[in-house]
Amino acid sequence: MSSAIIGPGRVRVADKRLINAEAVDVNQLMPIKYAWAWEHYQNGLRNHWVPSEVPMLKDIEQWRAPDVLTPGERVLVMRNLGFFATAESLVANNIVLAIFRHVTNPECRQYLLRQAFEEAVHTHTFHYVVESLGLDEGEVFNAYREIPAITAKDAFELELTAAVLQPGFSTTTFEGAQCFLENLIGYYVILEGILFYSGFAMILSLKRRNLMPGIGQQFEYILRDETIHLNFGVDLINGIRHERPDLWTPDFQTKATEAIERAVGLEIAYAKDCLPQGVLGLTAGMFEDYVRYVANRRLERIGLVPVYGERPNPFPWLSETIDLRKQQNFFERKVTEYQSQSALTWED
Amino acid sequence: MAIVVKRDGRKVPFDEERIRHAMEMAFRAEIACPYPDPLAADVDDRVRHLTETVVDRLRAHGSSEYPIEQIQDEVERSLMAAGEYAVARRYIIYREARAARREGERLRVSAGGGRDLLIERGTLRQEIAEVCRGVVPPSEAEALYQEIVSGLYPGISIADYQQAKILAARTRIEREPGFSRVAARLVLDAIYREVARRPVVHGSFDYVGTFRTYLERGVELGRLSPQLLEFDLERMARALRPERDDAFGVLGIQILYDRYLIHDQGRRIEAPQHMWMRVAMGLSLGEREREERAIEFYEVLSTHRYVTSTPTLFNSGTAFPQMSSCFLTTVPDDLRGIFESIQDNAMLSKWSGGLGNDWTPVRALGAHIHGTNGNSQGIIPFLSVANATAVAVNQGGKRKGAVCAYLEAWHLDFPQFIELRRNVGDERLRTPDMNIAAWIPDLFMQRVSEHGSWTLFSPNEVPDLHDLYGQAFRQRYEEYEVAAERGELRQFQRVSAAELWRKLLSVLFETGHPWITFKDPCNIRSPQDHVGRVHSSNLCTEITLNTKPSLDEDGEIAVCNLGSVNLAGHIRNGALDTELLAQTVRVAMRALDNVIDLNLYPVEAARRSNLRHRPVGLGIMGFQDALYKLGISYASEEAVTFADYSMEVISYHAILASARLAAERGPYPSFTGSKWDRGLLPIDTIALLRQERGGEVDMDESTSLDWGPVRSAIREHGMRNSNCMAIAPTATIANIIGVSESIEPTYANLFAKSNLSGDFTVINESMVADLRATGLWDDQMVNDLKYYDGSLQDIDRVPDALKHKYLTVFETDPTWFVACAAARQKWIDQSQSFNLYSSGTSGRALSDLYLLAWRSGLKTTYYLRTLAATQIEKSTLDVNRYGVQPRWMRSKSASANVVVRRDTPSPVTVKACALDDPDCEACQ
Repeated sequence: MSSAIIGPGRVRVADKRLINAEAVDVNQLMPIKYAWAWEHYQNGLRNHWVPSEVPMLKDIEQWRAPDVLTPGERVLVMRNLGFFATAESLVANNIVLAIFRHVTNPECRQYLLRQAFEEAVHTHTFHYVVESLGLDEGEVFNAYREIPAITAKDAFELELTAAVLQPGFSTTTFEGAQCFLENLIGYYVILEGILFYSGFAMILSLKRRNLMPGIGQQFEYILRDETIHLNFGVDLINGIRHERPDLWTPDFQTKATEAIERAVGLEIAYAKDCLPQGVLGLTAGMFEDYVRYVANRRLERIGLVPVYGERPNPFPWLSETIDLRKQQNFFERKVTEYQSQSALTWED
Repeated sequence: MAIVVKRDGRKVPFDEERIRHAMEMAFRAEIACPYPDPLAADVDDRVRHLTETVVDRLRAHGSSEYPIEQIQDEVERSLMAAGEYAVARRYIIYREARAARREGERLRVSAGGGRDLLIERGTLRQEIAEVCRGVVPPSEAEALYQEIVSGLYPGISIADYQQAKILAARTRIEREPGFSRVAARLVLDAIYREVARRPVVHGSFDYVGTFRTYLERGVELGRLSPQLLEFDLERMARALRPERDDAFGVLGIQILYDRYLIHDQGRRIEAPQHMWMRVAMGLSLGEREREERAIEFYEVLSTHRYVTSTPTLFNSGTAFPQMSSCFLTTVPDDLRGIFESIQDNAMLSKWSGGLGNDWTPVRALGAHIHGTNGNSQGIIPFLSVANATAVAVNQGGKRKGAVCAYLEAWHLDFPQFIELRRNVGDERLRTPDMNIAAWIPDLFMQRVSEHGSWTLFSPNEVPDLHDLYGQAFRQRYEEYEVAAERGELRQFQRVSAAELWRKLLSVLFETGHPWITFKDPCNIRSPQDHVGRVHSSNLCTEITLNTKPSLDEDGEIAVCNLGSVNLAGHIRNGALDTELLAQTVRVAMRALDNVIDLNLYPVEAARRSNLRHRPVGLGIMGFQDALYKLGISYASEEAVTFADYSMEVISYHAILASARLAAERGPYPSFTGSKWDRGLLPIDTIALLRQERGGEVDMDESTSLDWGPVRSAIREHGMRNSNCMAIAPTATIANIIGVSESIEPTYANLFAKSNLSGDFTVINESMVADLRATGLWDDQMVNDLKYYDGSLQDIDRVPDALKHKYLTVFETDPTWFVACAAARQKWIDQSQSFNLYSSGTSGRALSDLYLLAWRSGLKTTYYLRTLAATQIEKSTLDVNRYGVQPRWMRSKSASANVVVRRDTPSPVTVKACALDDPDCEACQ
């Protein structure tokens, strides 16, 4: 039986495509072709967390104390809350409004649904932080309108979403498919891969000094999720490249590289805005190096040539803060390295 | 006219030609047209046009003074805006190269109150060379100096300047473990400055001279006990050994600084050797030969052979000497009693005690309440109150309130109870800040094995069950099951034992809770079976003492004072130095016994029980480090043998020491009728367990020492303490002295330890030494270790023998840990904080592991540690070199085929511009 709206016969692996698959009806997963997408989805599930798990007492104590944080550190916290509070929703909107419709593969869509949920959790996190610390919610949640460095970052991304939302947009045309790839690069590689990273480093530098540990721990959870988002995005982009090598023209590569360079400029300006003076361990100048360092590795991930020359990470302490596997003192910190029980199998 | 403000503050007239020139140079570099070859007309036009843009933008700022950085920013921005990305890149590289050449001679540091301090670079360089001396090579000292300077900025506060040095040293630990001691010395210098209340040059702190003033100040501030001043202070000061401060690593010293050293409004008033001596003197206040005893205690403490528990370190010798670690209470089935128990929790938490609460007696959800003729809501709502109390009372601000609730597995609320730590579901039914543990009778484990059923009851209808164990429990439980079937009980629920067991393991896997503890071995092997019941264990599952509801006149809150022997510190010349160990244990037992009489008891029921039974818990730490020193892998028969033998030696001398203390001070009041009195030592009680279980207990009973002298000493003098041994987690004290925690295996050979003081890099120094000896310790090894999360197993060039020796915890077959724990449990009259680890996701394997732990006769288990599914991207490692897909991904994607190319812009840039010309300030 088949109808006009549901195709005939069974779903065949050979017909599955990341974009422009011919039949898209229900999200029928089987047989799975892109096992990596399914694996990202499962990893997302195992990492489930909610912001209220993280105790905020210490942060509240430090935020209210007159002499724990310097004025510079307060600016840094407020700017980053201001940016992330709405940036996460930007990603969510782009997934739901722009990407989901054009990614025609069910297992990838399954991951997109999971990711959209995680973006909601992240947005919730900033709401939770603002409520816990009793911050001016108007200031934090309107920062994207009031802080030029944040406005510029958001505007950059919104343009990419808008392009895909144009009436008549379709990935079946060559230009449309390229435009869609640009959107993926703009969100996964640039926003979640570059424009988030100054903020991560700043908050983690506070955590390293035991300042605002609750926010720090939330950023760690978020960063763990973002690592998967980025990897999924990179796999998706590389997958489309593989299926449609014609899209990856020299001009397109130049354009993509230039977009990343533009973003690097925006991110450095943002870092300068967050750090009018130095705070311990961080100066705006160091972020020029850091953002370029991050951008280089992002370029490489999608097969582009790094443009900023070989450079080390100017924040070697990030090694201790995020690279090394962490052992928590269970008297003092809630252990974060657990998986949800759905991961456990009971084969007989 | 416009003015340019230079970096040093000088002002010079603005000249737009300089901007044009700088841009021209960047264009020339990009198109490879060296100066002074003629420039193509269109390029020249672009340069001129861009220069005008920059000047316009500068004017738009509205000021006639342009700081040099602003000019450069505008050049960069204009190039980018015009789409000249490649040229902009040249310009940026050029600008960076110039910046690197600028280096002033002095550092400006803000000393507060508008005052600035100028620090000569030479002075800083010398200080760094000094603190590095003898622990890292001089070239490393220079690199550290450079790194510190790069992170400084003008006007940095003096506190941040001091911290910047420490942070920079800490960052280097992963490549050179010696930097842990460098960083420790910098922290020590900060401590000395605070104690001396003036600047102290490295190496010149006067320990002996400051001792008396420190004590007097501490007493004056109301922090220290005035009795300390009655000691012969000259003699005590002379006994201090300042050089022992150099034994600390940064993790240890930072912990002491943050929380242990006594402070006055955030300024330390004692230095580490002062602290050891203060603790030692505090433990000797009741001694006749107090100076001699105090020095004896000081010696074992300051050489890190034995360390008292955290509450003793915090409070010994102070005005409020609450020195006990653990309190165990049982909550009665009575509203007033429940809230009195919560009140007790608050009082005990305030003074740094950890709590184990037995909730089994409290009636379940739906049980009838006689007074109101209503139904009970069960224990869960009360646990929420207990949770809130733990948060509100945070151990005097020093560490989080710590509580564990216990429930026996037949309680009708048990299925809801085990979910208390999940992060899904109704938040009002969760206790995120409290630990939970399951108190499991042998019968349940037998039913699981037999795939039998299990019946849940409300305790008000089966009031005697909780106090029964062994065969008596089985008999009564089965009678209640029959009664339930006959309809004689108002409430009960029949479930599948295996299903409940799976549920239990599933939440354990997800949340690390509830901990699984075994009621019967705790009771059957208890020396105090003649005067009560063990109703639960404690916060860390190593204490197994009797409790009675404290509402009663003779209610008892069990108390335990803890201390731990550093096993690694007793390995000399490749073997366990049993003589040294015997001496340490003797001193330690005396110190522990002293605590009982000197202690401040926050509640009366605690004092009553502690003076009646006088239990103490001597444990160990540094077990894994001891194995390293012996060249043994944890995954080996040799490790089991060593666990067995070392514990036998400690047990032997601890029990003997207690009997000798009884000779000197008299036996503990409830001694008569105890297992000790009946001639039963811990090793003799394994047979009892076997008998009550009616089956095999997989625990060996062999001995290697002659226990005759111990037995006759007990017969002759009795025992001073009802219990002598318990192995605590030592999660903080082991870090203070820099040895592996408790009986814990190596977590990873390179990892970050996260605690209240922040994150600390920990590298396995023994492994570094072994790799150095084979010429394998280099940067690549560090990178590989990071990539492989501290494991050597996938690094091809490492020899197999080292791979085996340095197996990490998730790589070791966990049955080895169970075997070692069982070998220790032979000798211990209480229990051990025994963590289990599982790297896989097989429920079956997990079940087998816990069944093995039970069959091996373990009394308790502690956390189940598992691994997160994925990680954060490694930031300081060239991850792309290892592949674009992360290590945890099993499925290949197209990313696996991405070729990483490493083309860099040619170095022409720098050459094309007259960078070498000191007079050229084209863009400055």
